[in-house]
Amino acid sequence: MDLDKIQELLKLMKSHGLEEIEIEDNDYRVRLKKESQGVAVTAPQVVAAPAAGAPPAQAAGAAPPADEFAESPDHFFITSPIVGSFYRSPSPDAEPFVEIGDPIDADKVVCIVEAMKVMNEVKAESPGVIEKIFIENGKPVEYGQPLFRVARS
Amino acid sequence: MFTRILIANRGEIALRVIRTCRRLGIETVAVYSEADRDAIYLKLADESYCIGPPEVAKSYLRTENIIAAAEVADVEAIHPGYGFLAENRRFADICKSCQISFIGPPVEAMEVFGDKVKAKSIAKKAGVPAVPGSDGPVADDKEAVEIAHRIGYPVLLKAAAGGGGRGMRAVHNDASLLSAISAARAEAQIAFGEAAVYVEKLIERAHHVEIQALADAHGNCIHLGERDCSIQRRHQKLIEESPSPIISRKQRDEMGRAAIRLLKEAGYTNAGTVEFVIDEKGKYYFIEVNARIQVEHTVTEMITGLDLVEEQLRIASGEPLRHRQKDIQLNGHVIECRINAEDPDAGFAPRPGRVSMFFPPQGRGIRVDSHVYSGYMVPPQYDSLLGKLVVKGSDREDAIRRSRQALEDFILEGVPNTIQFQQRVLEHELFIKGKHYTTFVDEELTT
Repeated sequence: MDLDKIQELLKLMKSHGLEEIEIEDNDYRVRLKKESQGVAVTAPQVVAAPAAGAPPAQAAGAAPPADEFAESPDHFFITSPIVGSFYRSPSPDAEPFVEIGDPIDADKVVCIVEAMKVMNEVKAESPGVIEKIFIENGKPVEYGQPLFRVARS
Repeated sequence: MFTRILIANRGEIALRVIRTCRRLGIETVAVYSEADRDAIYLKLADESYCIGPPEVAKSYLRTENIIAAAEVADVEAIHPGYGFLAENRRFADICKSCQISFIGPPVEAMEVFGDKVKAKSIAKKAGVPAVPGSDGPVADDKEAVEIAHRIGYPVLLKAAAGGGGRGMRAVHNDASLLSAISAARAEAQIAFGEAAVYVEKLIERAHHVEIQALADAHGNCIHLGERDCSIQRRHQKLIEESPSPIISRKQRDEMGRAAIRLLKEAGYTNAGTVEFVIDEKGKYYFIEVNARIQVEHTVTEMITGLDLVEEQLRIASGEPLRHRQKDIQLNGHVIECRINAEDPDAGFAPRPGRVSMFFPPQGRGIRVDSHVYSGYMVPPQYDSLLGKLVVKGSDREDAIRRSRQALEDFILEGVPNTIQFQQRVLEHELFIKGKHYTTFVDEELTT
């Protein structure tokens, strides 16, 4: 296994924000996968070393970065109707209005955005299942900012 | 001095305020509607917040959204710019109760000058002559005729609740007054919801000359000379200049002192402009006070060398004025041309759209305040001002010549605009001789 090539691949991954890269050519196959604590290198098959200077094969199956905000008919976004502070629960000690995986209907209050001491309840407006929560509790949000991604049901 | 402020405005004035803040090391927070997502000054602000959809009422005029952004961004003060909430008493009040400094005059002074009747009575107290007319709405036709006789024809019938040049009718004798007054009342009712009408002397061939003033919270007040804004189209200013070609040094001193007396009488602080109308005989009359920084403040900056936004920030943060009246000098001659996205061949209809090429003139004595850039999309929801071209010359003739050159060098493609129209004004004999007046453009240059 050529360490220089692996370094190059690691650089490639970093500069393109890739999470996984797999390369195969006549002489070797390498898969690099990014995990939360770093990069795990697995080489499922190592074939006899090629002559030095073998050109690196073209990357196959490089995973593009997932676009969390991409539009799709399968889901919709709940966005903030005002500028303010985002709160996940009706009060500091209470349970959050929703968690990931919760089914919701159109009238469900999913969060509060507080502005000028007024607690504005934000409703789902459409039924679905909570897929992603973009904002941390207590953080500021602006008008139109995506708060939740909801899978349509 | 403040360390962090929010600019509650958009376009060229937002950029202008941000620029001074950056120079003074003040952190800036900008706000934008969805239509202003691509605003260039958002790149220069330290933080920016989307405060609503394109509609003005739901974004730039939405006090709650502006204040919420100010609190979330933890700013010490808000600069309101001009227009929008700049002269909104409720907004200034709420800033105060939220412990956010409002960069402008105190609410009480805004109240006085926001009311025509109160403003006139303060002017009387301060010994400042106001345009002769009724002290308030006329009770009936009889009173209107009496007043017209007292002040002399021609007179203007004005809707009490009106503004921006709307709801006004000129009459030259009793017969036309009596026939016009009921129509005027009906118009006022429809346009402004109030049939109240008042009578004012119509100054013909008038010059509009305004005095820029600064007042701090320590009792100091100075004036920074005048701006002549007599080139207007339907009461909208097109060209402003300083010094005025029609007033003498003595008149400037007199009007300046009158402006100071008036503002002091009302307890006014921060930047403010006292507007006067000057008749053919050179007599001046007070019209109103603009309790904000104005579009044409740039003219005064170029001629005095001061940064008025900086002065506003200093005054609002409690500092005393750093200049005395004798320190203020007007050097050279400055002319400003407003460039609007309007089609002069289509009755100056506003023309939003994409500015394909924006290349402003450059060089000594040329200042361009504009938020526009090549590829910028002019949104339809806001005013049509693309930018201000401010040119300084050694004297009026030099300033006119340089302005004409600068307009010629100004490349602006993609939207119809008023650059060529401004050229026509600057080439007109009446303007060159300084013999123009407020209705000259309407009468001579527009069909």
